[in-house]
Amino acid sequence: MRGLLKGLAYTLKNMKQEKITYNYPEEPVPMPERFRGIQKFYPEKCIVCNQCVNVCPTDCISLTGKKHPDPDQKRKIIDTYDINFEICILCDLCTEVCPTEAIVMTNNFELASYSRDDLFKNLEWLDENETNVREEN
Amino acid sequence: MLRTEEMLLNVGPQHPSTHGVFRLVIKIDGEIIKEATPVIGYLHRGTEKLAEDLTYTQIIPYTDRMDYLAAMTNNYVLCHAVETMMGVELPDYAEYLRVLAMELGRIASHLVWFGTYLLDIGAVSPFLYAFRERERIINLLNELSGGRLTFNYMRVGGVKWDAPGGWFDRVQEFVPYMREQLAGYHDLVGGNEIFLSRVKGVGVYSQETALQYSLSGANLRCTGVDWDLRKHEPYSLYERFDFKVITGETGDAWDRFKCRMGEIEESLKIIEQTFDQMPAEGKTMAKVPRMIKAPPGEAYVRIESPRGEIGCYINSDGKKEPYRMKFRRPSFYNLQILPKLLEGENMANLITILGGVDIVLGEVDG
Repeated sequence: MRGLLKGLAYTLKNMKQEKITYNYPEEPVPMPERFRGIQKFYPEKCIVCNQCVNVCPTDCISLTGKKHPDPDQKRKIIDTYDINFEICILCDLCTEVCPTEAIVMTNNFELASYSRDDLFKNLEWLDENETNVREEN
Repeated sequence: MLRTEEMLLNVGPQHPSTHGVFRLVIKIDGEIIKEATPVIGYLHRGTEKLAEDLTYTQIIPYTDRMDYLAAMTNNYVLCHAVETMMGVELPDYAEYLRVLAMELGRIASHLVWFGTYLLDIGAVSPFLYAFRERERIINLLNELSGGRLTFNYMRVGGVKWDAPGGWFDRVQEFVPYMREQLAGYHDLVGGNEIFLSRVKGVGVYSQETALQYSLSGANLRCTGVDWDLRKHEPYSLYERFDFKVITGETGDAWDRFKCRMGEIEESLKIIEQTFDQMPAEGKTMAKVPRMIKAPPGEAYVRIESPRGEIGCYINSDGKKEPYRMKFRRPSFYNLQILPKLLEGENMANLITILGGVDIVLGEVDG
């Protein structure tokens, strides 16, 4: 009986404590600076080096490059850039290898969708995903 | 005398107390279990086979998904295996960061076990308290690595990030807080007569049985075997820390409870000592080649995860991918004693015994 009462005392002591739960999704949950969320892509920074494609453990990135419109420039520019978020595990390896920080992480993580097609994100979408961009990559 | 018939009962695979997708086919005669057959594989993803096509760095996020309650130790065992093969010496600072992360993970993992075990037995409030504390750890590890469960924090040769500003202070604040809460847990359930009568003398096995079944972790130590790889085969910097190996005596569910709760306390001690010993700053990565290639040959390393002995075997032919990789996943080995323990037990003890083994299905199925 003593043990039961001791347990009850602990519960009663905790009743007075402040609430620690979040009212999600009405209020957004703050995520720390380094949080790995949906990627942001800067097409103008990309040098089409394919390193992100090679390092991706789930092969969810596919990209194509095209010739630079200026015939004097030899380098390629990005044409299409797609990430399949059905299989992306947000492991951070693509942002780690990118030499020009053309692909970086953001703090956004809400990917739930009614259709699987919506999880296929293209260059335009990834370019417009520009809120909460992570600074250190 | 009432005539009873044998009945076949499926527990799971979608059953809250199996903590994942685990199915147990049991034959019961009245209330008594005659035979129990675990059916596993619902969460099998073929990590070992997938690893054969991946570079060593690419395998790290996959290890996160095996024992998802203590992913840091999984990260470590893979990196440690590759580092052993390559002969890489880590900077002290990186090792201390790893130890901190692993011990925080160990506490978080034991807290989940504590909460869900009590929940299975029928006490709801300990679960809420345990998850409150666990959330603080998860937030700390989130700040450190950028992930809440799948950290992908360690790399071959070090760690990805240095600790963010103020992180060490927050961990130091957490230690006394956790200690206070731990004392509260003992008040809450440690003396609770209902809980004690549910766990004392339930699921007993002897030292010999435990060793024959190759149990490890708290499942082995509860029988009184003094075996902790951190102590007896020190890896990383564990020989620099002063901590006790918690052992039980009788090998029942109550001793397993005491072992795990004791380990939280010991982990807190290790974290405190880390801060005493740790250099103020240092390198987070050793010098490693850009493309990591393990030299031809093989290596097996083992470390102490919250669930037991986790091992990693790599057979390399000198390429950037392993030729063959094998993980010794402690949950898988610990689970094998379950049919023996359940035989002849009362139906009501099923959950007490299953919960006491502390399995993570991601690890059982690999």
